[in-house]
Amino acid sequence: MTPSRQPRSAAGPLTLERGGSFRARLIARDERALVELIDHATPWLLGMTQSLLHDADEAEEIVLDCFRQAWDQADRIPPEESALVPWLMRVARNRAIDRLRSRRRRQLRHERAHHVGALGGDSAGASLPDESALPGWHVHDTVHAALRELPDDQRSTVELAYFGGLTHSEIAERLAVPIGTVKSRLNRAYDRLRGALAHLKEWV
Amino acid sequence: MNGGLAHEWFIEHRQAFVGRHLEEDEERVFGEHLRGCGECRDAVAALERELGWLGMGVRPVAPRPGFTREISDAVLRPAPAPWRQWAPLAAAAGLTLVLGLGWRGAQRRAAGLEAELASSQARLEAVEDTLSVVRRASRVFHASVKMHEHVGTLTILDDPVTHRWQVIVAGLPPAPPGERYQFWFITEDGMVRGAEVSPAGDNAAKMTRGMPPKGGAVLGAALTMETASDSVGPPKGMELAHLMLES
Repeated sequence: MTPSRQPRSAAGPLTLERGGSFRARLIARDERALVELIDHATPWLLGMTQSLLHDADEAEEIVLDCFRQAWDQADRIPPEESALVPWLMRVARNRAIDRLRSRRRRQLRHERAHHVGALGGDSAGASLPDESALPGWHVHDTVHAALRELPDDQRSTVELAYFGGLTHSEIAERLAVPIGTVKSRLNRAYDRLRGALAHLKEWV
Repeated sequence: MNGGLAHEWFIEHRQAFVGRHLEEDEERVFGEHLRGCGECRDAVAALERELGWLGMGVRPVAPRPGFTREISDAVLRPAPAPWRQWAPLAAAAGLTLVLGLGWRGAQRRAAGLEAELASSQARLEAVEDTLSVVRRASRVFHASVKMHEHVGTLTILDDPVTHRWQVIVAGLPPAPPGERYQFWFITEDGMVRGAEVSPAGDNAAKMTRGMPPKGGAVLGAALTMETASDSVGPPKGMELAHLMLES
């Protein structure tokens, strides 16, 4: 579950700025900026959506919609969201969760959540031949380093909650613990993760 | 708006809301609360940014070949709306109908245009023929023409190649009613009728004529005023001009 990879400074950062932030370039209708953003962010968005939906076609639909929203409504992205990749990831995740809930396939989701491989294990999609060369891989490593620092119970709760898309009650049922325990574990875990990932705000 | 919950509950569940871990009814209540609570709205926005990179913990998935290109094409060049996809067909059908209805009229117009074109081509050929006679003319004969108080001219350009004349009658009024101008060849055998000439003041009468088939060698030309009904036989009217080629 927990990755063994260590952060690599050689991996390409997500510093894609060229003549202004991506948000500014999209607002300026810079098509090249969109193409670059698609090239860099698509593997991560697919990873997020497929880990939640386990359906490649639906995952692709959501990823396409995310980029369409970024392009069509770039001027509505809050200026504070200078880092577009996490913004896209959040949009994709929310859409995927909405779709999960609209399906009302909770039971199926329970079963599939058991096999969530989003954190470096199994994956619903094709793996990349050289993942460490992927732009953003150093962010991935940083996130995993932060996750590794969490106590086991918090980490497993975060995995089910954030990467599995489960609600408090579903996690409680899954882990056979009181719902209050789930809430407190998640709150503590998120507090620590926010601190550990705070420096990533400087990245695009 | 708060679903009976205290503000502390919303503060406590901000991270759960951002993470989408609330039950659906709780999430709905939280969303309603956000609309009226700027403090929670700002706090949630900040949490979303702070936890934004957490999503990068997923394992990346290689897009299938061509998918990224499909995205950029779909976003930058979206497909036209369904009605627009049918628009070309509808336009084509409409155009076919219009063309069908207009076909007969177009055919009639085409026939008229063809006739007009043929006439124009004939006129053009005549003009070109006249100009060829003028260009090749090696001799020019000129005589004054008196018609009452008017004095006009009779000019003949002789084309030795085709043995034709370009005859120009200018400066004469239209022929009086019941009369007409008549051009004559003066031959060894006498006067041979040429053609009627219709000058009209400033508009000179011009015609290209070959030599008469009978009458022997052409010696000269004459212009007379004949009665309109007199179209055969030797000249009977008044002579207006007379010129001899050797003179």
